[in-house]
Amino acid sequence: MGTTFLIAARNLRQGGRRVVLLGMAMVLVSMLLVLLDSLAAGLEASMVHSATTLASGHVNVGGFFKVTSGQASPVVADGPKIRKIVEAEVPELDFQIDRVRGWARLVSDRASFWGGLLGIDVAEERGLREVLQITSGSFDGLNAPDTILLFEQQAKRLEAKVGDALTVSAPTMGGVNNTVDVRVVAIAKDVGFMSAINLFMPKATVRKLYQMKEEATGAVQIYLKNEADAPAVMERLRPKLEAADFKLMDSDPRPFWMKFDTVTGQDWVGQKLDLTTWREEVSFLLWILTGFAALRWLLLGVILLLVVVGIMNTMYMSIRERTREIGTMRAIGMSRGQVLRLFLIEAALLGLFASALGAGLGAAIATAINAARIQVPMDAFMAILMNDHVYLKLTVGNVGYAVALISAISCFAALRPARRAARMRPVGALHTVG
Amino acid sequence: MSTPTPSKHTAAADAPPLVELTAARKDYPLGRTVVSALRGVDLVVRRGEFVALAGPSGSGKTTLLNLVGCVDVATAGTVRVAGQDTGQLSEGALTKLRLDSLGFIFQSFNLIAVLDVFQNIEFPLLLQGKLSKAERAERVRAIVDKVGLTNQMKQRPAELSGGQRQRVAIARALVTRPTLVLADEPTANLDSETGERIIDLMRDLNHTEGTTFIFSTHDPKIMTHADRVVRIADGRVVDAAGSSDTHAHVQGHA
Repeated sequence: MGTTFLIAARNLRQGGRRVVLLGMAMVLVSMLLVLLDSLAAGLEASMVHSATTLASGHVNVGGFFKVTSGQASPVVADGPKIRKIVEAEVPELDFQIDRVRGWARLVSDRASFWGGLLGIDVAEERGLREVLQITSGSFDGLNAPDTILLFEQQAKRLEAKVGDALTVSAPTMGGVNNTVDVRVVAIAKDVGFMSAINLFMPKATVRKLYQMKEEATGAVQIYLKNEADAPAVMERLRPKLEAADFKLMDSDPRPFWMKFDTVTGQDWVGQKLDLTTWREEVSFLLWILTGFAALRWLLLGVILLLVVVGIMNTMYMSIRERTREIGTMRAIGMSRGQVLRLFLIEAALLGLFASALGAGLGAAIATAINAARIQVPMDAFMAILMNDHVYLKLTVGNVGYAVALISAISCFAALRPARRAARMRPVGALHTVG
Repeated sequence: MSTPTPSKHTAAADAPPLVELTAARKDYPLGRTVVSALRGVDLVVRRGEFVALAGPSGSGKTTLLNLVGCVDVATAGTVRVAGQDTGQLSEGALTKLRLDSLGFIFQSFNLIAVLDVFQNIEFPLLLQGKLSKAERAERVRAIVDKVGLTNQMKQRPAELSGGQRQRVAIARALVTRPTLVLADEPTANLDSETGERIIDLMRDLNHTEGTTFIFSTHDPKIMTHADRVVRIADGRVVDAAGSSDTHAHVQGHA
């Protein structure tokens, strides 16, 4: 086997410009693969982090409370009981919080808009403090009652600044409109699409607006040690909650605010819980990831096809040039299988070296881009990325995947030419005619 | 010209046959016609013989060597090598027969360009996979010493003269200790002096190792080294027991 490797490696080295050009193409494809993969992973990581901090837990136990069948509020009547069940039944739990949810009109002297209220307890919001970049005021200002945090674009629309008073207006569960006056205590940098609609206020203020009891909340947001466990945890929680006398809505993979029409159209009153994962709560944004993945595979598919054609062409030419050598080796006693292996090893070595170099370059470029913290140039992209700078999530996995994929494709492309070499009759390959 | 040295393994007339061709025929399709390279050859070569195949270009010498060397199969008739009917053997069995029992020496040397002298000679042993690394090294060094290339072991074929390359090819053919070595015009690409030395070397190995050699040649001087000259013309053996004093005869066929 060692000599087969040696022959393969030395033949590659002597392959000249043709092998160098093909190798360079494979380096570029591997580099592109690593960059696109890490960009996709970065995009997903940014979305997961931002979405799960701003609008959702990894798993959410929310729900609706209906006083009459035609009216629904995003309320969970007994938050503490649910938190106890989660504590007992979810060993994967990192931490949990609960937020009071609402949908209200925010009014300033100059303008108004509808937004999603999120009543929070500053003390238990671990991730939110990290994600929000406060440009004026203080996040801790939300510890005071009747306060609000705005994002820059919201403040701009309302022409409001820290210290200004605003009015929040919403219909209560009893169907009566209620208002509270709040003071702007902080303005944060926009964090993508989520910052257009979310309004952060203290829990107590939102409860006061909706005239809710102390134990009522909007949703218990569960954060797991590993986000990937979310679907399994959700499925496990459903029967546990039912066993604790909670009624559950059927699974509906949409964010809670898209379900109002469905819920108000249903003929039931009282409390029903609705369990969702973070992916479902931001499903309206996941098309971006799907679209990006499709575009990535389309682009890579075309390039990989060109690489396959290049490898096959190079191998066929190499086999034609080395026909006499193949004939000699067959005459000496090399088996068909050994000839096949020789050419596959040659392709694998080319694939391995080129892809390792390409993946290494890709990793270096990705690291440099992350270190440079390149600003996202357009608001639209920022909204998609939920991040103000380009982030490429580089893992050993995506580098290894690129190397393995390109090497495997290289071998696959060489299979047909190698089989042709192996099937050569020694007498024909030797070009000997008496 | 050197004279053959007294042989340790003189080919006796009653030695067992190593190669037997019976009515061996080889046809090649050429468009709508069929070209017959061999037209019913009967030939026996016994163990230890040093046989020359003589005949003009296109007479069928190489085709005959191909059939005996198991790199081609006869269209009709039988070819038996080392007691085995090659027409009945599978591709794998033919490969094994070539590897274990046969050695090849080509007109154009056919060395593996990317391997050095040592590696080229070691290659068939690696394919056999029977010897340890140390045993292989010992076997290769012994044969390299015999062909006089001890100082060229690390050189690649491109760095060697024609004569040196053919010595490597001879060493490669002999390193597995085959019972039969086939050489297709081994001196054709060499000057006459080097050609003489190569044949002397083959003859010496025939004597000392008892290896059977069948080689084709156009050169009457080279034929004089053979125990026997088999003359071929138009795909037929016209004389299977010819003496090596064949100058006039071969000229007559050319």
